[in-house]
Amino acid sequence: MTEIVLETKALTKYYGGTLAVDHMDLEIPRGCICGFVGRNGAGKTTAIKLMLGLLNPTAGSSKLLGCDSSALTPAIRQRIGYVTEGHRLFRWMSIGGLEKFQRAFFPKQWDDKFFADMIEYFNLPKKKKIKHLSNGQRAQVSLALALAPNPELLIMDDPTLGLDAAIRRQFLEGMIELIMRQGRTVLFSSHILGDVERVSDRIVVIDKGVLRANCSLEQFQKAIKKAILSFTDSVPDQVDIDGVLHCRRSEKGLELTLVGTDDEEIAEWAKSAGAENYHIVQMNLEDQFIEFTAPANYRRLFQWEEK
Amino acid sequence: MRFSALLRKELRECLPWILLAAVVFFAFGGFFLRAAAYFGDRYWRYSRFSPGTTVSPYDLTCYPTLQTAGPWLFFSSIGLGLILGVRHFWIPHFTRTWPFLLHRSVSRKTILAAKLTAGMIAFVISLGALWVGLFWYATRPEVFPIPQAPRVFIEGWIFIMLGLVTYLGTALSALSTANWYTTKIFGLIFATFTTITLLSTVWAIGLIAVSTAILLVQIFDTFLRREF
Amino acid sequence: MPLWIQILPGSDEPIYIQVTEQISKAIARGELSSGDKLPAVRKLALELVINPNTVARAYSRLEKAGLVTTKTGSGTFVADPKLRKTDATDINMLTERMDTLITRGLNLGIEAQDLIRLFESRLTKFNNKSNERKEEK
Repeated sequence: MTEIVLETKALTKYYGGTLAVDHMDLEIPRGCICGFVGRNGAGKTTAIKLMLGLLNPTAGSSKLLGCDSSALTPAIRQRIGYVTEGHRLFRWMSIGGLEKFQRAFFPKQWDDKFFADMIEYFNLPKKKKIKHLSNGQRAQVSLALALAPNPELLIMDDPTLGLDAAIRRQFLEGMIELIMRQGRTVLFSSHILGDVERVSDRIVVIDKGVLRANCSLEQFQKAIKKAILSFTDSVPDQVDIDGVLHCRRSEKGLELTLVGTDDEEIAEWAKSAGAENYHIVQMNLEDQFIEFTAPANYRRLFQWEEK
Repeated sequence: MRFSALLRKELRECLPWILLAAVVFFAFGGFFLRAAAYFGDRYWRYSRFSPGTTVSPYDLTCYPTLQTAGPWLFFSSIGLGLILGVRHFWIPHFTRTWPFLLHRSVSRKTILAAKLTAGMIAFVISLGALWVGLFWYATRPEVFPIPQAPRVFIEGWIFIMLGLVTYLGTALSALSTANWYTTKIFGLIFATFTTITLLSTVWAIGLIAVSTAILLVQIFDTFLRREF
Repeated sequence: MPLWIQILPGSDEPIYIQVTEQISKAIARGELSSGDKLPAVRKLALELVINPNTVARAYSRLEKAGLVTTKTGSGTFVADPKLRKTDATDINMLTERMDTLITRGLNLGIEAQDLIRLFESRLTKFNNKSNERKEEK
């Protein structure tokens, strides 16, 4: 039975009257890379801060490595790496100074050579102060600081926001390097679905504070598909097939975005609805995400008007 | 090892301000003290010791050190208190460095203790050492022919402690999660009130101790419960 | 010839299928012949910057299809083609692909006879290529 390293139960957070996280139930097993995706403001950072004990939940609970988030012991914190939103570090410190600072908290775990190799690879002078580094360079330092203690659980809050493709790739490489060590787990939030697709085992989708999906990446990709049906006569008014996310009508056609519907079910419904022809289209992850998190009466921003 | 790393970080972070306060006090306070010793006669003449005014014996003994260097000590101390309070507890909100700092393998109490210890060291060791040095200098007969009362020495320390109280008050204001500005700066108001009322009271030390205790309890309570 | 795999995240084909397909193609083209060792799961994962589980899943799919065999401790090797058994799912998949080809060809206006000739010429070419490789060995 795989151990659960991160667990939330009905985790809820209100900011005044706004609901930021809505009764989130999450279980992340050891050894996986979990991609945490959601639109801007969906509640990803809030959820992560709740998990790390930086925010207090309004209701519900959260546990990291078996320890309650509001009472994370120093011993538990030592096993958790955290890459903060925006990679905010002490601006006046030099990279070498930060290394000494971080190392003091991981006396037995710190890998000197690993940190030195990474800093050398990134071509960063140790004497340079954080305030003189670009965003990308700061992110690189942040990554090195988080990986060098060889954490059991690595939590990264939108680590590649605003970074160029090369640095994003370095972060992915770091994640893979870590996951190949025994018993490591990574949770990272991201907007770049291509990155999520590359490295994640699991995907967690959060939308307006609500957990909408929590499954393996394979299941998510298999579950959301498009069915395009064409009709000789009129398009049926009632679309009573299970799992419709969105439905777009044209004169002689119907475009359905479905979640969790079997190919056989679609075939059956197409037949019973009198469709002349139908295709099942596999979607790419980005389109799947957009359609999955779009509101019910979703329409495109700009529509083509026939003159 | 962890505490010392935190303490070292907090000290190095505010070192420029500690040095600034020390330099201001030492330079100006020292300058005026030296001037008083040097010009002696002329200095006394244009002072409140002009003929015709009544002075107490106490005035005679405390005059040179406290009147010349004293104000500089007071203002450096209060200034340092405000600046350190802001640097330690307000700036991290702007630089968004709280999450990084708080995710340390130590208890939150330890993190707070490191900050407060750095503050205390700033006052006691830097300003305190300078005050001791300056006072010793003033007691040398070739500088001032009149002995300095021990009470003068203590009053200097009271100024330093008031700076510490200001630091704590600023800290509490910065940490306070109150939304209204009036409630938020309560800590600062409390510290200011304490400072003003205690400037020349016999009960100063006792009241400083009480205010410090109150502020410390509030600071710990807020920091441990607060969200970042 | 070293194995080269190009991963396209953001395509409508999941990554593990892309890996499976590209290795299958390499085997079909003769670029990988029976007995060749596939890169270690971790090595490939690091090179392609993808999750090692994805590589593992691709390898197990290939093993199920009979294209590779895994020897614990040594690694994954391309299987002997004579030992490959084509089963119903393979035939189904081939049939699907053939249907796509045929419909496309017919829609483009190509005659059925031309299609057959085209198919035969391509088949000969591939066969010759893989025979050449075997002779090289």
